[in-house]
Amino acid sequence: MREPISPAGLEFRHVSPKLVTVRLLERGLGSLLTVAVASLPLVLRLAGVWGGFPGWLAWAILLLTLLIMLWRLALIPRQVRAIGYAERDDDLLIRGGIFFQRVMVVPYGRMQYVDVSVGPVERLFGLSSIKLHTASASTNALLAGLPTAEAARLREQLSARGEAKLAGL
Amino acid sequence: MSVVSGPAAPNDDAQGRTAGLAFAQGTGFRTDSVDEWHRVHPVSPLVRGWLAVVALIFLFGRNSFDDLLASIRSGGRHNPAGAPAWLILLFLGAAVVVFGIYFFLSWYYTRYQVTNDHVRVNSGVVFRRQRQARIDRVQAIDVVQPLLARIFALAELKFEVADAGKSAMKLSFLRLDEAQRLRAAILARASGMSVDPCRPSAAPQAPERAVLALTPGRIAGATLLSGISVAALALAAAAIGALYATGSPSILAVFLPLALAVAAAYWKAFTIDCNFRIAQSPDGVRLRYGMLDTRAQTIPPGRVQAVGITQSPWWRPAGWYRVHINVAGYGSDHRDSGPRTVVLPVGTEAEVMTILGLIFPDPGTADPLGVFRAGLRGKGTAHGFVHSPPRARLLDPLAWRRNGYRFTDTALLCRHGVFFRRLQVVPHERTQSLSLFQGPLMRRLHLVNFELHSTAGPVRPVVRHLDTATAHELFTGQAARAATARRIGRPDRWLEESNHEH
Repeated sequence: MREPISPAGLEFRHVSPKLVTVRLLERGLGSLLTVAVASLPLVLRLAGVWGGFPGWLAWAILLLTLLIMLWRLALIPRQVRAIGYAERDDDLLIRGGIFFQRVMVVPYGRMQYVDVSVGPVERLFGLSSIKLHTASASTNALLAGLPTAEAARLREQLSARGEAKLAGL
Repeated sequence: MSVVSGPAAPNDDAQGRTAGLAFAQGTGFRTDSVDEWHRVHPVSPLVRGWLAVVALIFLFGRNSFDDLLASIRSGGRHNPAGAPAWLILLFLGAAVVVFGIYFFLSWYYTRYQVTNDHVRVNSGVVFRRQRQARIDRVQAIDVVQPLLARIFALAELKFEVADAGKSAMKLSFLRLDEAQRLRAAILARASGMSVDPCRPSAAPQAPERAVLALTPGRIAGATLLSGISVAALALAAAAIGALYATGSPSILAVFLPLALAVAAAYWKAFTIDCNFRIAQSPDGVRLRYGMLDTRAQTIPPGRVQAVGITQSPWWRPAGWYRVHINVAGYGSDHRDSGPRTVVLPVGTEAEVMTILGLIFPDPGTADPLGVFRAGLRGKGTAHGFVHSPPRARLLDPLAWRRNGYRFTDTALLCRHGVFFRRLQVVPHERTQSLSLFQGPLMRRLHLVNFELHSTAGPVRPVVRHLDTATAHELFTGQAARAATARRIGRPDRWLEESNHEH
């Protein structure tokens, strides 16, 4: 399925589907913490410490938080599928997002440096993130979930092309 | 004590020596060899740190001073309420010695050199700091004179390079003429102007041509017709309302601090923009402004990344505009990035066009006046602007015919805003990266935002709510135009014969 916002006639490459698992783990952990905090009023009320707290509100807080967290987790597979990148002669295109879609083109000649980073969970699954920096702070070109070999290849490729096309600021 | 110096290219040394020999015969500027260092003016730490000294004296000194007076008045007898006089004097003496030693050390350990390719500054007493910047990457040079420095005829040289760390390199403080000489030399080096190795002193102050000077009346008018006045009116209304509601004049005391803040804002806005002058020289555009603290900025050609022209509703009757620029490095220094990014605090349309002519000598269109005027005030498709489709009315009921873009051979013009009119101009070769953005509501209407990423600064070029197909065309087209412009782009050294053939 071609996302309507990306320019036509381009073959976007997808990131590794393992990123779904990575994100589920990372975000799931965070969600658990949030849910634990959100269930605090209910627990306190049931334990009788905070008897004055309205019961319906305690339940509502917990359920709402739970719903939002589940919704955020359920979105992950589609979000990961939406991430794509395409290498062209002069620039790299990165797209992402479902509801708020964004396509970005970063010219090789404008790249100042390339960051490759690996987090602890990413390392377990053999994934890396790559980030391109230009002189502009608004260039937020982060490409997560690349297999380590692919990230290394892309980094080399980007550096080589950046050097060949390097322009001043 | 050994002099610490960074690694230098071998030719640095050789050229430095030739220059040194030549210097012996004439006067003027020469670049330094690798192990030749200079110190800033000895008064500098005092000028930099006077506020801290005053604050400390005020904090600790006030009580002690009272005690001292009381103790003297009581005939040197022991004063049970405060410390004895000798202790206070000792404390004072110790403070003088400590400050003196600190100031001396910080002066002693701050040194700089300007070689053929680099400016290096070493500073810090305990934590040594060495910074080095490539001269040919200079983005802008400021000569800043805070009030106290002006009294001593000193100036701070601020040197903005895009490749050194977060903030600008500073040399504070130098004698004013020394700072100006260094500026001329650095700019001459940066321009790639071939300096005669036998006569390096022929790196002259580039001749200037005055372009524009704003009258105090204009600045005062612009200050009065600003957001500050809106706040002041709201404040006055609130004060009158409170007076009526309570009936007691004492309520006005509550508004006193706010009124003072408004007065301070007026004062600040007026003094910063006071004496605003613009001149043109081969070194670039030179701005001078300030009433108490003065600043002279030099922006070499081709360093402007983006220009933003704005007009607030209260300036519309007067036909005034304000012009901002993005320069790499300016945006990252938050403390004083505000005034520095303004190239024209208030100007008429004709003056705006003059400034644009200085910044972008080549507008890339046959009818620049018409095109830019359409960008500043126009609506609809006049002069080749492409605007949002009619269905964007749902999101932009008034602005949809104003949201638009047009590209010339050299730059992209983005315009938007009905009440607060804005025009943003980005040269094609300064495009960093591009993106398209679409939210859920925009997808329903098949609209897309086009964003152009420039270096950090007040100008964030964006074209809102374009038709999807138009946006794609702009996106791919702009990427291609930027790539072409980069290939034929002018070199960093603007006076050097171009050898950048790709």
